[in-house]
Amino acid sequence: MDLVNYGCCMSADEIPASQEPADALAAVAALRRLADQIEDAAVEQAMRAGWSWPQVAEALGVTRQAVHKKHAKRLIAAGVKLRRR
Amino acid sequence: MATIDHYINAIIEQAGCEAQETGSATIEAHHLLLAIAVKGETGTRQVLTSAGLDHQAIRDALDREFEHSLSAAGVSLAAFDLPRPSRAAKPSTQLGASAKLALERGFASADRKRDLRPAHLLLGVLRAQAGTVPRALTLAGVDQAELAARVMRSLTLEGG
Repeated sequence: MDLVNYGCCMSADEIPASQEPADALAAVAALRRLADQIEDAAVEQAMRAGWSWPQVAEALGVTRQAVHKKHAKRLIAAGVKLRRR
Repeated sequence: MATIDHYINAIIEQAGCEAQETGSATIEAHHLLLAIAVKGETGTRQVLTSAGLDHQAIRDALDREFEHSLSAAGVSLAAFDLPRPSRAAKPSTQLGASAKLALERGFASADRKRDLRPAHLLLGVLRAQAGTVPRALTLAGVDQAELAARVMRSLTLEGG
């Protein structure tokens, strides 16, 4: 399997191809983990910079409830001052 | 509760801390492996260390697996320069799919519930056919089948 085949607008030169299904599947799992890590870091950075929940939610393309549920406890425990709205 | 139940709880609890440490919302099979390397029963830990797998070595192998898997999609960890996020307020208590499979396989490897030993739990983790644990072990140069066989032998020696 070749990851490149799934790209609609990237050429073979742009994405390194993986020959093995196992590598491609592991890449999906790793990318999800990385996305979660980046989300944790980016949401915290935004909230420390004074962004509101609705702004962060809109930027992520998720509901305010979803982003609040996922991050509020962690950020409160970390002492981040959160804006109410 | 039987001793083995306390043991399983202790391992899952430690795995929850490992998950929290790595920013994972769920406990996965590799967190169980890390937990066994820290809080595991002595004989089980010895089998792991005999293969060069102490807690730090497993962490290193998992980091390599993460980077290696990302590279298959052309992504480099070094490309992201975000500050490290704060940890979750509490250790994770939710078992992810890979951890559930590992526990099921561990339970299934004992004939009867009362025959269940700490080594069966490790065996359950080592019987994964795909996913993070097998890939990390391969990258660490560990023969997964041989390691599982060694765990089996430790069970036989124990008389379990």
